[in-house]
Amino acid sequence: MNKLSMLVVLGGLLVSCESINYVPPVTSQMTTARKGQHFDLATLREGRTLFVHRCIECHTLPVLWRYSTEDWPGIVDSMSYRASLKPAEREAIVAYILAVRFAEH
Amino acid sequence: MKPTLRVVIFVGALLPVLSSFGGARHFTFLYEANTSAPGSLELENWVTWRHAVGPGRFNQVDFRHELEYGVTDKFQASIYLADWFYRSDPEHSGSTYSDTAIELIYNFTNPVVDPIGLSIYGELRAGDRLIELESKLISQKNFGPLILAYNATLESVWEGSDLAEREGEFSQALGASYEISPRVSAGMELLHEFVFPEWRDTAKIQNFFVGPNVSYRHRNWFVTITALAQATDTHGEPDFQLRTIFGIGL
Repeated sequence: MNKLSMLVVLGGLLVSCESINYVPPVTSQMTTARKGQHFDLATLREGRTLFVHRCIECHTLPVLWRYSTEDWPGIVDSMSYRASLKPAEREAIVAYILAVRFAEH
Repeated sequence: MKPTLRVVIFVGALLPVLSSFGGARHFTFLYEANTSAPGSLELENWVTWRHAVGPGRFNQVDFRHELEYGVTDKFQASIYLADWFYRSDPEHSGSTYSDTAIELIYNFTNPVVDPIGLSIYGELRAGDRLIELESKLISQKNFGPLILAYNATLESVWEGSDLAEREGEFSQALGASYEISPRVSAGMELLHEFVFPEWRDTAKIQNFFVGPNVSYRHRNWFVTITALAQATDTHGEPDFQLRTIFGIGL
């Protein structure tokens, strides 16, 4: 295999991995993504910022669909001490994750 | 009161008001772009074994005890309480205190949501017969479970009894780490050094090291190990290096 082919394959692999970095920006649709549940826009923005900064201190970001909506609060809670998250910050991260999931389905 | 005792009392007084963990390292010869959470404090212990064979053979074990503190979301500060080493070669052996240092890192962009994560790093080391200034550009990009990092480092060293010996060094390091599970990562590190004795390039010294790394993290601690072999044949440089960093959140 020549060098160009190897570069193309490597580039393709990186692009496919990049698509796993799915942390979409907050939109107004996310605030009312689920009937009966309202997310504050500022909270969602803070949640996204904290998610991409604090969680990667220890591990790469997981795919948001890897765990169920029922599991996410417990997962974030279990690591909140390590990530120095205050209760409101922990809630903001969970709100962002759930809002993305509800908006996509 | 002795300075060491002051530091111990100061750190002891801080502990109750601080919480949690600065973060886990995926590499030992490279830095990552993200900084510690504000208010977090971590103790890192570094142990590096350097081994050279042949006429200039030696064994050296370097120790570093570092406290890392997250000042803001984008700024962290560290103190190397002590860098010291044990060295054994055909002529002599023994332990020597090397230096104490401060290290500052400022993060500009995020490796997940920005095209590339960038941070700058500054370090000042001072010892009995050593002053060193080091600056570093840290770049990183996360591709899902894959972390790619690149560091470019410039060092100025003054050492010897009257700090008369000068040396410059430019080094670049490239690392890849793949997260096998949230607790375990494995990858590779490459280190390429250019050494300029007396700030001149006449000696044409280049060293190239390459080897694997593995990292494990759990609760408030982590351990990361890298083994590097020298791919060049530079006399006086280690043929093999093994670095372990053990970090624990306080």
